[in-house]
Amino acid sequence: MAVYKRTYKSYDGPLTPAWSRWMIVTRFSYSRLVGFKTNLFLLACLVPAVGFAAYIYLAHNAAVLKSFGGNFASALSIDGKFFFNFCTFQIGLAYLLVAFTGPALVSPDVVNNAMPLYFCRPFSRSEYVAGKMAVLVYLLSLITWVPALVLFALQSSLAGWEWTRANFWIAGAVILAPLISIAILSLIAMAVSAWIKWRAAAGAVILGVFFLGAGFGSAINAVMRTHYGSLINLSQVLNTVWAGVFRQNLDTGLDVLDAWNALAGASLICLWLLFKKVRAFEVVK
Amino acid sequence: MTPPPLEQSLITFDNVSRFYGEVLGVNRVTLSIPPGITSLVGPNGSGKTTLMNLMTALVRPTRGSIRILGITPHQPEKLFALLGYSTQFDAFPKGLTGFQFIYSFLRLFGKPHLECERLASQAIERVNLAEAAHRKIAGYSKGMRQRIKLAQAIAHDPRVLVLDEPLNGLDPLVRAETIAMFRELANQGRHVIVSSHILHEVDMISDQVILLSNGYVVAEGKISGVRSEIRDQPMQVLIRCNRPSALAAKVFDEDSVVEARLHSDGGGLLIKTRDADKFYRLLNHIALNGIEIETVAPADDNVNSVYEYLIGEEPQK
Amino acid sequence: MNWQLWLAQIRAVVRLEMRKTFLSRRGLWVYLLAAAPVLLFFGRTVDVMRSREWFDTSVAPHAVSRAALESIQPGANLEDVEARLGEPYSRRVFQSRRHSQTWLSYTDGSNTYTFRFSDGTLEGVSTRDRANFQDDALIYATFFQFFYLRLLIFFGCVGIFVNLFRGEMMNKSLHFYLLAPVRREVLVAGKFVAGLIAASVIFCTSTALQLWMFSIPFHATIESLHAANYIGVTALACLGYGSVFLAAGLIAVNPLLPAAIVLLWEAANLFLPSALKKISIIFYLQSLCPVLAPPEKDMNPLLALLVNSAEPTPAALAILGLLAVTALVLTWSAFRARKLEINYSSD
Repeated sequence: MAVYKRTYKSYDGPLTPAWSRWMIVTRFSYSRLVGFKTNLFLLACLVPAVGFAAYIYLAHNAAVLKSFGGNFASALSIDGKFFFNFCTFQIGLAYLLVAFTGPALVSPDVVNNAMPLYFCRPFSRSEYVAGKMAVLVYLLSLITWVPALVLFALQSSLAGWEWTRANFWIAGAVILAPLISIAILSLIAMAVSAWIKWRAAAGAVILGVFFLGAGFGSAINAVMRTHYGSLINLSQVLNTVWAGVFRQNLDTGLDVLDAWNALAGASLICLWLLFKKVRAFEVVK
Repeated sequence: MTPPPLEQSLITFDNVSRFYGEVLGVNRVTLSIPPGITSLVGPNGSGKTTLMNLMTALVRPTRGSIRILGITPHQPEKLFALLGYSTQFDAFPKGLTGFQFIYSFLRLFGKPHLECERLASQAIERVNLAEAAHRKIAGYSKGMRQRIKLAQAIAHDPRVLVLDEPLNGLDPLVRAETIAMFRELANQGRHVIVSSHILHEVDMISDQVILLSNGYVVAEGKISGVRSEIRDQPMQVLIRCNRPSALAAKVFDEDSVVEARLHSDGGGLLIKTRDADKFYRLLNHIALNGIEIETVAPADDNVNSVYEYLIGEEPQK
Repeated sequence: MNWQLWLAQIRAVVRLEMRKTFLSRRGLWVYLLAAAPVLLFFGRTVDVMRSREWFDTSVAPHAVSRAALESIQPGANLEDVEARLGEPYSRRVFQSRRHSQTWLSYTDGSNTYTFRFSDGTLEGVSTRDRANFQDDALIYATFFQFFYLRLLIFFGCVGIFVNLFRGEMMNKSLHFYLLAPVRREVLVAGKFVAGLIAASVIFCTSTALQLWMFSIPFHATIESLHAANYIGVTALACLGYGSVFLAAGLIAVNPLLPAAIVLLWEAANLFLPSALKKISIIFYLQSLCPVLAPPEKDMNPLLALLVNSAEPTPAALAILGLLAVTALVLTWSAFRARKLEINYSSD
């Protein structure tokens, strides 16, 4: 048997700590996903926040309001509803962002048979999913709860300690409610991206999940004379959960408990779909 | 006006340019391709596939005009009745067997069912795929997919056959059979236009070559003709004889000879000369003066050398 | 004009496309779209038959006056409600460690009322009407116009027709068609006919099955169901939307954008000037529907965005208008197809 001089030496430098290794996927996916257009869209998504900030400013500046004439001060109230409306508007924009960026998350790895390359390294499926999902969580946070929290801080600074103490729960609500929506939107986007290779079709399916869900839910309600059809209407489900989080007395036609259960069900389905595709091998039939 | 008969036997490019946005595909190509095997040679991105796609109207020229046996590429009904193109794309309509694939596209010619079945079977047999004809193409090997594409291109018995890298993925035996088929088609007076990276095969099969580099046609014609036009590179001649040292001493008297290199076995030498005709005349004279010459052969009268001289490097495989 | 050859070529294209459209895994979701409403109406039929039998035997004898039922307001006490309305025909209790939830069901002889109590306090009432043909025919009309036409057939046609050209480009197999001795116009016609056959077969079958399911509890006749009208409108919807999405697949690398634009255009139909209204598919389709359905008053805002009635136009005019729009779009598609180039790398 021939004996060759061993010239190969494996890398023995410092390693990325295991706990933060999933962020490598985040960094690479982010740099591939976010270009000029996405940045421009993110910037445009912050324009409504400026409008809402102006509203807060006006509500606290009686002198400015007087110059318009009339009694505007009492009309402009900053409360849970105000932040609920802001977050609802922003999550609509987040939905559009997900439909256009989400499809490119997992599908390129599936199409190019890259999954085995990820998983032949010390890298788990959960870390892969977490890494990819973090990109969407980061992007969507930038246009939802982060500006909402800034608005809350602005309102607190202008309204004083009394208001802040009485309404401190709003700070929690503006973080929690968008995060719930972000989580479900991200899971849907990733599950769809894992199963549908064509980006355009995946985007259409992400839009379709909400539009068709809303339509089919209403159809079930009308035809079956029930309200359980609303459980597949994810926008209605989220609205119900949000109404609870923001302490809004809205008649969404759904129980809060039912809505939470529907969200949990949708999340589990998405995770199941995702883990069916995110694996180191492909079964060719 | 009816085109003249000569035009009806040629493929002509008249000052054709094609740009992809700001990227150059091919530029100012003027060509006249006669029947026989014509090889398109050039490195990746030199414009070989663009030239073939232009010929078959898969892309349109930005400038200039093209005629294939007198027909413009924008007359699909006429053009594709006499032209077959095997592209480089390794994709097929989903769910079809090899036979169904060829049969279905033959039906687009408007031919009746039985005739299409006959032509499809014939084409499949010609590329030796009869055994796999009724299996799904998705399960074919790379070589089988290449052959089924070839079968589809020849199924309707075209007068012009355009083949983009047709020998890729074929094993040596099938390669030889395929080359023999090209030769047979060319001998029948058809145009066989082939692009290839493998220069020794090009050398073996081509009647004429078109050398492309960066979208420009660098040379065209028969290999020997092209080589003789390259005057800045001395011709190389390989000579096997009984006294190579004596021969070397004699040929150095001639101004046009720039280099003579003896073979290590002592049975021959390589000469580089600027004037081949003059050198051959000299060689005749030397042969009459006691040196026994076994063989004389040009050493760089091939596509490989021509390619190296004109384009400068080996094509990327 | 070589009509015979062109017809043979169209037939050949249709034969090739049929396999792809009907049997491909990629097209499975279109079947799901078409099957969903059939399953819905099947469920409804089973539910109506079962509840009718149960109601007649078990519930109707416990009827309470409607006035008494409607006098109960949220916030009422569980014991008070039982005292005023008597024993319910159904009682369900859910007890957790902290809270209890109770549902009491009553009837006025034709409708059911379910009162939901949380820790003994009334939180909400849900009423459920019993099925009757007139109301249900209107429900079907609403379902057909606002859900089936605007969403299911719409997205189904996106799936089938966009795939005809764009799908082939994604699959890198369109060049086989372009290298055949077929005029591009004939190719467009062949692909459109193939898509139309597939979409019509799938969605018209779905419409017929829905109507059949719908009719079972009422023993309704084909005439009273307006079955021919609904099936005809379904086929015309496939024709109209099909032409639009075939064109979208030809022009756009990402057909999601034109699909979204068409969706919004169709939704904004009501607000458009009358001349522009006619450049839409839904305008003609709604005019042809046998029962004109109003939008639901408590419709979800997301869905309401899509729901706007078009003013009706005479049937003959509507059919001609739809055919004219389709012809226009197909002519334009054929014109585009003539300039089509193969450049798979950019797709």
